[in-house]
Amino acid sequence: MFIKRRRGWEIPESQATPEHLVLGRRALMAAAGAGAMLAPSVAKAQFWRRSEPADPWTRLPAEIPDLPPAMRNTRYPADRALSPERDAVTFNNFYEFGSDKGIWSTALRMPTRPWTIKVDGMVESPGEFDVDDLIQRIGLEERVYRLRCVEAWGMTVPWTGFQLSKLLDIVKPLGSAKFVRFETAQKPEVMTGLRQSWYPWPHIEGCTIEEAANELTFMPVGLFGRPLPPQNGGPFRVVFPWKYGFKSGKSIARITLTDQRPVSFWETLQASEYGFWANVNPQVPHPRWSQATERLIGSNERVPTRMFNGYGDFVAGLYTNLQNERLWA
Amino acid sequence: MGLKFLGLLLLIVALALGLWFGTDTPLGAAIFQLWPEFLNTFQAGVQRRVLPELWDWVILPVLLWPVWAVPAGLGGLFLLLGLARRR
Repeated sequence: MFIKRRRGWEIPESQATPEHLVLGRRALMAAAGAGAMLAPSVAKAQFWRRSEPADPWTRLPAEIPDLPPAMRNTRYPADRALSPERDAVTFNNFYEFGSDKGIWSTALRMPTRPWTIKVDGMVESPGEFDVDDLIQRIGLEERVYRLRCVEAWGMTVPWTGFQLSKLLDIVKPLGSAKFVRFETAQKPEVMTGLRQSWYPWPHIEGCTIEEAANELTFMPVGLFGRPLPPQNGGPFRVVFPWKYGFKSGKSIARITLTDQRPVSFWETLQASEYGFWANVNPQVPHPRWSQATERLIGSNERVPTRMFNGYGDFVAGLYTNLQNERLWA
Repeated sequence: MGLKFLGLLLLIVALALGLWFGTDTPLGAAIFQLWPEFLNTFQAGVQRRVLPELWDWVILPVLLWPVWAVPAGLGGLFLLLGLARRR
């Protein structure tokens, strides 16, 4: 009689795992592998979500002092109602923190004290200035400006700060200085956008020396009477109310006077859409949308956009001999 | 056959990308070299219309991998699956 003795490794066909389950297991293992690679990111995301501050006015550090009293300058009437305060500090563009409008909670992780601003280049008296020393030295005023974003929305907000020309008076530009370059701080520990090393960081913006000296060019350190929060460019930024908003550099760490026209961050990325001058003009559309009207943040009302954002009386003269320049993009 | 072929093709692509861009170049940098405007528009689309965290915690980490890693990983996986199926 033939008796077959199975060796240890021999098992009947019926006990073999079906093929579809084996292949399914491989897919499962692949998914597990991918999950393991992304798990640190997901875990970090959960941690960050839990640590999000709830108040968009949160100060970091908490000891940031209140601003000294500032009188409102009525020479620049906004002719519009103020945008709701909450909207102004929770609807922001700040590319270092991301592309979406809700970057405020991420931006609030950036400490804004101590903060120094280096002013160098073609000036008689270069130096580094502590932001609180500058506030004390120059003094503050409040100005209500309309802000027109290149994305066809607008806000009206009260900035507290000082005219850039007052800072220029301190450092005394040389006659050879033709342009002013604004450099945003780089804080890789909180600015997740800086991880995208292929972009031309730091964020640079610039203007001519004449634009910098114009009475409208303002250096806010506050918003709605409180210290300027980082999502709005705190603790120290520049505002050109007659230009599209992206020209108004945020969280500035360095100002350089130069005879070379600065090439801005956005100009490097998409020169066809974001040029050097970028003056507001409702008759010149953006390559992808009209600039004829703007949506007011808060009310969502759509209103006509005005030439130079309504500030032509103050700035149109800056451009009379520049007709060959691309002034509107 | 299909999976094996696709796997081999992706491994060749990975090798070519590594040789062309260098082994240290992140995927995002390679894309930025080829289409400077793409990533900015893509990021805005994902973060504004889908989910901000999807960019920060999934897409960006992948963009930071070496340019050859994604096709190499996928190619290796497809090749293994193709070989397993044949057996």
